[in-house]
Amino acid sequence: MNRDIVEQILREYDALHRADTDPELEAVRAAILLEDVFGIALSDAEIDPAVLADSSAVAALVARLQGAA
Amino acid sequence: MCGVCGIVSHDDPPDLALLRRMMGRLGHRGPDGHGYFRDRRAALGHTRLAIIDTSGGAQPLCNEDGAVWVTFNGEIFNYVELGAKLRHRGHIFRTASDTEVIVHAWEEWGEGCFSRFNGQWAVAVWDRRAERLVLSRDRLGVRPLFFIRRPAGILFASEVKALFADRSVERAFDPAGLEQTFTYWSSVAPRTVFRSIEQLEPGYYAILDRDGFRKAPYWRITFPDRGREPIQDAQENTEALRDRIVEAARLRFVRSDVPVGAYLSGGLDSSVTAAVIARYTDAPLHTFSLRFSDSEFDEGRYQEKMSAVLGTQHQDVTVSRSDVAAVFPEVIWHAESPILRAAPAPLFLLSKLVRDNGYKVVVTGEGADEVLAGYDLFREARVRLFWSRDPGSARRIRAAELLYPWMARSPGRMPAFARSFFGRHLDPDDPAFSHRPRWDSTSAIKGMLSHDQQDAIDRAAAEDVVAMMPPDSKDWDPLSRAQWLEMTTLLAGYILASQGDRMLMANSVEGRFPFLDRDVVDFASALPARHKLFGLEEKYLLKRAFADLLPEDILHRPKQPYRAPDAASFFTPERPAWFEAVMAERAIAAAGVFEPSLVTGLMAKCERIGGENMSNTDNMRVLAAVSTQLMHEYFIVGGGYGALEWPLPDPSIAVDLVKDDRSVP
Repeated sequence: MNRDIVEQILREYDALHRADTDPELEAVRAAILLEDVFGIALSDAEIDPAVLADSSAVAALVARLQGAA
Repeated sequence: MCGVCGIVSHDDPPDLALLRRMMGRLGHRGPDGHGYFRDRRAALGHTRLAIIDTSGGAQPLCNEDGAVWVTFNGEIFNYVELGAKLRHRGHIFRTASDTEVIVHAWEEWGEGCFSRFNGQWAVAVWDRRAERLVLSRDRLGVRPLFFIRRPAGILFASEVKALFADRSVERAFDPAGLEQTFTYWSSVAPRTVFRSIEQLEPGYYAILDRDGFRKAPYWRITFPDRGREPIQDAQENTEALRDRIVEAARLRFVRSDVPVGAYLSGGLDSSVTAAVIARYTDAPLHTFSLRFSDSEFDEGRYQEKMSAVLGTQHQDVTVSRSDVAAVFPEVIWHAESPILRAAPAPLFLLSKLVRDNGYKVVVTGEGADEVLAGYDLFREARVRLFWSRDPGSARRIRAAELLYPWMARSPGRMPAFARSFFGRHLDPDDPAFSHRPRWDSTSAIKGMLSHDQQDAIDRAAAEDVVAMMPPDSKDWDPLSRAQWLEMTTLLAGYILASQGDRMLMANSVEGRFPFLDRDVVDFASALPARHKLFGLEEKYLLKRAFADLLPEDILHRPKQPYRAPDAASFFTPERPAWFEAVMAERAIAAAGVFEPSLVTGLMAKCERIGGENMSNTDNMRVLAAVSTQLMHEYFIVGGGYGALEWPLPDPSIAVDLVKDDRSVP
């Protein structure tokens, strides 16, 4: 998956972000999407609103986990 | 849309009286006329619902020299384009019908013609030159085609009841067909629930000639390997999907010589098809909806909203529990299968509304959930896969709350429920990972089977649908594997049959399904899985593609599966008399499928609680028992429902070469 597609997916993910629900649940929702689309596995510590709420942090996380895979 | 039937005989000429009885049993599929052809080897019958070339398209129909005859149920939506190609190659047409395109396409391309068709069909071609019968069925099984093979030849028909017009046909349940039905919700082609009767697989053609009987696929459900989908860009795919759906809906609306209406459920899919028709065609649109007196199932608010937005002439029918019970026997007579939900019954009443309003064709949103991943089952599978990576994780188990918001409101109940429902069958390498919980839950019905029936099932060893999966499916996305299973089992065997063709044709109404268009299906199958189910956002690309045509609250409303009152329908004070007769202990013993004491115990339990708040399992058990008992009464004992055969007026086509010319070979 090239970088343009990854960025596009992260923009689409960002557009779906729901601010009106439980932040912990939103972190789980994001983790499901990221694991499925990018074929990565997040630790419990990474399924966390503080880690997944910010799109640039998510981009960095995906890059790190893809690099590690 | 029509009824087809026929006989090929290796010895005596086919029995015309039998063919007439078969056509009589298909009268509801074709009330506008009938016709037949017979020579010394074959007889083809047809009952017609006239939709294209209403004055000239009577069947059976032949080629220029009478060597090739066809009887056809369905529509070939690209018949105009194929007809132009065939004319260019020298074929001479006498009608403007899609039926004649089939005859010339067979002459021109042989078995290769079927992959060129974009439509919904069950067709029989009799090629007199080669004494060859060819049967074919559309890609996904929109139209039914059953047959019986025997040493003396073959009998085929659109519905099983027409085959039973031959009194020599064995009347018995097929244990393996029942086993599949009580696992997958329907038998899986070529099996049926009847021992002597087969159905042609969707996407197949079959040939019977001097070399015997054989069949082969001309198309298969397939998906690219994960990560190797041809187009990865979401915007490009959005636009291409929209183009294909618009063209598919437009074709299904304009390629008819009678007015076409549309179903409007209040959900996304039928709203898309109705909106596309309203936007891209000129004709006024008439829409039809189903409402329920039980508010739990009613979507009237959304239907009215969508109708108002589109400016359609709108009509609805409100269905109560007692309505479901009242029509249930007729529903089973048409469905020709045990059913595990009462959902077909309201659809029977909806097609009656359509017919009563003078329409005989409707466009619906069927197929979108399978092709573009709308079902909760797909989301559940993704959540279970997520959970399976670390079943002990306190964070991952919360994913179940994203599927069912009530869990978040009842945190005390959540972990136990989540573990019991989602926490089983968590092997990610299982090709049927997505479907195990459903199959497991459905199989609870088998706990009610009689010992004899269970023994018969054990001996019959029904095919495992997982073993039918293509070898390369191991490289598909897990969503694609789930879609394959759903399209192979529930779509063909239940959604398009018991809920689709049978409930529509019971009232002589043809359904047309843009989401099952050849080009839509092929395109959607090649999409990256994330463009269908993006995280847990179902039908992601479809929503993007039609965001400008739909109101926000239709576009983003949570998916509401189509449901109707189930077992509760049979435990109201207005319960019809038929129920006591077919569910009596002696009737259950006579049918021999279920253990009488277990069924009567279940009925007593439902009676006590008035059918309210029943578990999903008990709901299915009641529906399975009631529908199977009715099946036994109508098809195995053989009483049928009402008048077995429609009176047939004078035929529009009557070609009998046996009677007319004794020298014809």
